[in-house]
Amino acid sequence: MGTNIYTSALSGMNAALLGVSTAEHNIANASTPGFTRQEIILGARTAQSSGAGFIGQGVDVAGVKRIYDEFLTTQVLQEKTQASYLSSYHMAMQQIDNILADPVAGAAPAMQDFFKAVNGVANTPDSVPARQTMLGNAQFAINRFKSIDQRLTDIGNGITGQITSSVNIVNSYAQQIATLNGNIKRAVAAGQGQLPNDLLDQRDLLVSQLNSEIKTSAQAQPDGTISVFVGNGQAMVIGEQAMSLRVAQAATDPSKVEVNYLNDGKLIALQQSSLQGGNLGAYLAFRDQSLEPARNALGRVALGLAASINQQNQLGQDLNGAMGAALLNVAAPRVDKGANNTGISSVVATINNVAGLTTSDYQLRFDGTNYSMLRLNDNAVTNLGTSLTSPVNVDGFAVSLSAGAMQAGDTYLIRPTANAARDIALLTTDPAKIAAAMPMRTMTGAANTGTAVMSSATLNTSPMSIAFSDPLLVPQTYTVTDSTTNTVLGSGNFSTGAPISFNGWTVNVVGTPSTGDAFSLVKDVASNAMLASAAKTNVGGAVVLGGKLNLQQPFSVTFNAIAPPATLPTYTVTGAVPDVSATPVSYTPGTPINLSYNGWSAQISGTPASGDTFNVSKNINGSGDNRNALIMAAMQTQNLLANGTASLQGGYGQLVGEIGAKTSELAVTSLAQDSMVSQTVQSQQSVSGVNLDEEAANLLRYQRAYQAAAKAMQIANTMFDALLTIGR
Amino acid sequence: MRISSNTIFDSNVSAMTQQQARLIQTQQQVATGRRILSPADDPVAATRSLEISHSDSINTQYGANGLAARHNTSLAETALQSVTSLLQDVKVAAISAGNGAINNSDRRTIATGLNERLQELIGLANTTDGAGSYLFSGFQSSTQPFVNVSGITLYAGDDGQRAMQVSASRQLASTDSGADIFMRIKNGNGTFATQSASANVGTGVIGMGGVTDTALLTGDSYTLAFATLLTQAGTPNAGTASISTATGSNPATHYTLTFTSATTFDVTDVSAVPALTVLAAQPYNSGAPITFNGISLNVQGTPASGDVFNIAPPIDNSYTVTNNRTGLPVAGMMAQPYVSGQQISFEGMQFDLQGGPAAGDQFSISPSVNVSIFKTLSDLIGTLNTPVAAGNVAQSTALTKGIDNALNNMDRSLNNVLSIRSSLGLRLQELDALQASGESMGVQLKQTLSQLQDVDYNKALSDLTQQQMTLQAAQKSFVKVTGLSLFDYLG
Repeated sequence: MGTNIYTSALSGMNAALLGVSTAEHNIANASTPGFTRQEIILGARTAQSSGAGFIGQGVDVAGVKRIYDEFLTTQVLQEKTQASYLSSYHMAMQQIDNILADPVAGAAPAMQDFFKAVNGVANTPDSVPARQTMLGNAQFAINRFKSIDQRLTDIGNGITGQITSSVNIVNSYAQQIATLNGNIKRAVAAGQGQLPNDLLDQRDLLVSQLNSEIKTSAQAQPDGTISVFVGNGQAMVIGEQAMSLRVAQAATDPSKVEVNYLNDGKLIALQQSSLQGGNLGAYLAFRDQSLEPARNALGRVALGLAASINQQNQLGQDLNGAMGAALLNVAAPRVDKGANNTGISSVVATINNVAGLTTSDYQLRFDGTNYSMLRLNDNAVTNLGTSLTSPVNVDGFAVSLSAGAMQAGDTYLIRPTANAARDIALLTTDPAKIAAAMPMRTMTGAANTGTAVMSSATLNTSPMSIAFSDPLLVPQTYTVTDSTTNTVLGSGNFSTGAPISFNGWTVNVVGTPSTGDAFSLVKDVASNAMLASAAKTNVGGAVVLGGKLNLQQPFSVTFNAIAPPATLPTYTVTGAVPDVSATPVSYTPGTPINLSYNGWSAQISGTPASGDTFNVSKNINGSGDNRNALIMAAMQTQNLLANGTASLQGGYGQLVGEIGAKTSELAVTSLAQDSMVSQTVQSQQSVSGVNLDEEAANLLRYQRAYQAAAKAMQIANTMFDALLTIGR
Repeated sequence: MRISSNTIFDSNVSAMTQQQARLIQTQQQVATGRRILSPADDPVAATRSLEISHSDSINTQYGANGLAARHNTSLAETALQSVTSLLQDVKVAAISAGNGAINNSDRRTIATGLNERLQELIGLANTTDGAGSYLFSGFQSSTQPFVNVSGITLYAGDDGQRAMQVSASRQLASTDSGADIFMRIKNGNGTFATQSASANVGTGVIGMGGVTDTALLTGDSYTLAFATLLTQAGTPNAGTASISTATGSNPATHYTLTFTSATTFDVTDVSAVPALTVLAAQPYNSGAPITFNGISLNVQGTPASGDVFNIAPPIDNSYTVTNNRTGLPVAGMMAQPYVSGQQISFEGMQFDLQGGPAAGDQFSISPSVNVSIFKTLSDLIGTLNTPVAAGNVAQSTALTKGIDNALNNMDRSLNNVLSIRSSLGLRLQELDALQASGESMGVQLKQTLSQLQDVDYNKALSDLTQQQMTLQAAQKSFVKVTGLSLFDYLG
């Protein structure tokens, strides 16, 4: 019986000792990340049966367990993944948010200053200082665009670095988890059912840290290991084996990197959409959904400014009396060949309509028969027909195959405005090159006796299209139509290669057009050439060769008396291209006469007398003419972008608004997510966290238990002594 | 609920971090005076304030454009004011030159003075804007618009009018073409000009007339001609001489022209009883006018001695209007009886004819042509410089006509300049109105902008104090709470 007391007391002392050391372990690890508090599991020993009943045998320590809630831990993981995603995205967004709308450093005030200087030139077109100011302010605006773009590029490069280091961290965590998996597996096997709590805590911590980088899902295995999956179920860790992710240049876009999954030595690209959550997800989403659209939007504003000012400057006359040239550099769209293309081909893209441009990137595809264009921001597909020999229009730019042939499945990435803000530049330093004047002026004949007056001549360069009749009907004819008003401007007999002239431009169509084949013509934004693009339905083999605009061809109008038997007076136009002087035009006196020749339109109103002349002639010495500068100045308020719905400032404002709204949204959601995290962490910690007061109490409790058990042993000893005394 | 010790620290620290972030935000707002530090603070207001500051910048620009337009317009107005008073002075001088009491040298003195004024006028027409650009040369602002080439002032500019954008929808002309101001001044009544032929011998004076019906105007030139004297060669005359024109006051007298040899002639009044010799043994030169008693004959060819021509008055004192283009008489205007002072109307035009026109006198009615102010002035100077011999009716009529023409054209010039000035005045008025509305718009925009992006100091400072207090409370309570530990009581 005595031995029984001894063993029982000893077991109590042992249990108390273990309790104290567990409490101390908890206290020591109170601030260890990922630590889960532990408790000893006590159980009464099986009682000894005796005549008097079952006699207690003391206490057994069944094990040390983690106070761990699987559900809460998983929830914390999920919330933390989302939180790190939002906070990384928010931090990245803040970088661009701050630079865009600064009242001093943003592009908006620079553009305003530029237009102020354009107005200055319009007010005093012959003042060289005013012109110098315009060039200076243009340079200032260009520098702003460039520096914002450079900043965005720097941020992009930084993001690439962060993606790389994030992927490295993911790989390293995966490796560590795999190693721990092995340790745990062996410890579980050796522990005969006892779990290696601290190893489990370490592994849980690693999984949690992994989740901060990338969203994963984990699956516990019966042998104590866990399997970790990323993306669309790609395994990162299976048992003791870790897979890895690789950063590589994107196959579709050499300007950026993408995350690949390394499987059996082969790289499988992971889509950004499958990598949601965590820092890595945030970096990819920021780059693809915020940074690049922002650069494109900035580029669109820069391109709109450069192309519109250029276009107008080229239609004007500079201070030296020459036709204006391009003032600003207009970047061509960036075209990247798909890395997996099998055909040997090259594709060029040209901007031909600033208003039509979007801020999206595009993918040109070929399915073996048809070409199509995929707009990447909304996945809208435009069918481009079966031939790209002549340029075909899509959303403000035209694409054509410049060499070779595409094979089925080949793609090209086309980014119309991506480089525009980077490449905008001033092409002249000569203030005289600003074309403030128009190349032509109207003059009323000095000897006119009538009271008619001619309005100031205006340019008429609206886009036009040429359509062809059936080639089997000889002669084949062409019809020229104003694309804006849909009015027929003229027609003629077609012969291959012969120049077709209208409204100041001349083009040559070579080859045999089929019935209904059509070409649309717009003025190039960068030069005085005409850009021709073929209709998507063209079947003939005709192409448009060359094309130039000559806006300095004078013409004059002379009024004739009524020549019986005609009842209406006529006027004769000389100098028009093509020549119409042989066919006088009759008019009704009292009705204004609208003229449109050689690219110029004017109106004669009032009563002309027979013999009166009106001339549209070269604007020689027109240094005080500001008509063209006025048009340029008016571009500040014109809706030049987004199909005529946004001005340059509006386009920029839209960018600022989008970035601001996204940042603001992220600030709010990130804050909300933080409080979600702190709530779930609190719940999880309320179960698994160490409370020092509780541990202090545990210390006291086990101390008392130890003292009591020791006392019991002492009592047993005393009792045994008493027994021995009896025998003496 | 069980609270882990870490939670106490973590949640307090994160709460204090948030408090601090808010405090810094408010402090930054106070320090910069801006409510929106980055677009994310208020994306809607940030975009809106970009728009507003854009509008404000444009509004300011319109104001600056208006000032530039005002500068040019006021300069033009000042120059044209001087032109007006100059023209008025010239008019006064022209009227005084028409005074019959002054003599040739007086007129020359006036002409000398007028020449000075002409140079002054050219100077005014070449006014620059102070930066060397000519105000009245159209688009060719660096080309001197008015150049006097051997007495004729030509316009070297063009019809261009420089417009300035003074409001969103208004382009205001800030210059006027010199051609419109100085060159395009129609003579006559502005639609047609009447003139008596220089060879007229009668005293008929044609009025300036006016338009009665613009729809009927043809723009053609017309000649109003009085019936000529009747001439008849003797039968038979041996020589080849003939009378090509015969004009003269309507005599009731018949004359005979008798060649006494191939080179001499006599003129006899055969109505008188007895016949009266008017001219005797005058030398004959083919083509030289033979004038006597207000009659002018033009005889050409070689007469033989004894050749006779009879000159008789016309049947009646009538006139015919012929269209020069068609060469046909105007309908209803053939052989019309002449009544002095009666209005003559045809094809939308009406004018009067007074005095005593002679047989064969002609008057032209032609569409008005442009006569520049300079030409009017230099013509007047030319007229005044031409001496008038005492008693020479033709010369004094030419003087009167010249001065009348000059006065008429001067009035038209003055009207033209005044109408341009009134247009300048209206533009200046419009600029004033635009400036006022632009300024009040600017104030409004700035107010809106301030409301959108500027910090409300009352609110910001009160927020700052509140946030400061909250942070302090959090800090104090944190220290208190973390100071509590059971371990303090152990041992």
